Amino acid sequence: MLMISVSLFFYFGIFLAIVGSIATAWGPGVSDPVVRTFNTEIAAIGVCLVLLCYNHVLALLTLLATTVIITLILFRAIIRLEEMGADV
Amino acid sequence: MYVPQEFISMYLPAIYAGLIVGFIGTMAIAINRRELHILILTDIVGLAMIFVVSAVGTDLAEALILPGLVVELAETLAISEILITREMRKIEQDPRANLTKSSSIFPQAFSLNMEIMTTAPNFIALVLIGYGIFLTGFTGGAVAGGGIVLYALSKKARGLPVLMLDGIAGVSGIAWCLWIIGFLLFFVTPQYWLLSLFLAACGLLLKVASKVGLIGLLMREDIDNE
Repeated sequence: MLMISVSLFFYFGIFLAIVGSIATAWGPGVSDPVVRTFNTEIAAIGVCLVLLCYNHVLALLTLLATTVIITLILFRAIIRLEEMGADV
Repeated sequence: MYVPQEFISMYLPAIYAGLIVGFIGTMAIAINRRELHILILTDIVGLAMIFVVSAVGTDLAEALILPGLVVELAETLAISEILITREMRKIEQDPRANLTKSSSIFPQAFSLNMEIMTTAPNFIALVLIGYGIFLTGFTGGAVAGGGIVLYALSKKARGLPVLMLDGIAGVSGIAWCLWIIGFLLFFVTPQYWLLSLFLAACGLLLKVASKVGLIGLLMREDIDNE
């Protein structure tokens, strides 16, 4: 029988989420909004692992979809604001 | 009894993790001054919300996470539009600034000139919308919305008439009413659970499909730029 340690995945997910949120808040190079947007993905992957441990399949799929769409929306906002010359 | 034993032991770590992530996110929001960065950091606070809700560990958690995510998506979309519009106002009022043509997420001109985009979309969109209505609920809404997005992307109609936007808003209101009536019937007359289930499912279908369709129509503006 194949044993997968659920608690290992769970605590690794928590670790990734906390590290990712610290990286988003105070990580290197976050004055660039593109870097900051990418750093949120680390925390999102951590949350995905936690949802996987809880068997929340629909929530996991929706989180993946909304993360992709939110990233697209944020990039659109960043690019538009930068081309208009706002200080982002 | 309803929650497995492992999930009960995972409750406290998940709650503490959610609190820590939320604290980090809100502190960063408090320190930052620039609106765009604050918008990005709200994402982190949303993830903390998911932690706290998912710690419940039953189907209730799943039912609460889905609307939370959709509301967060709509909120991000609305605030980013507000930021862009305000910056445009500022530039228009400043006579020295030169207003360049509006930009898009695709640096190169992104034209979808495939043959299938002119011949097939009517049929495929119809099939997707029909299958979405058959599925009902959240998944059906996503499938039907995909059909609307495909139609919007492949047809050459530019922009969105005001009448159509009003119509979509009206559909959204009817969907809320169906959902609330279904929810009320669940508690008032539990023996009609099938009717209330279908009311809620059809309401959610209309809601999600119109939301996804609107996002697709917004992206169409970007893609059509030459």
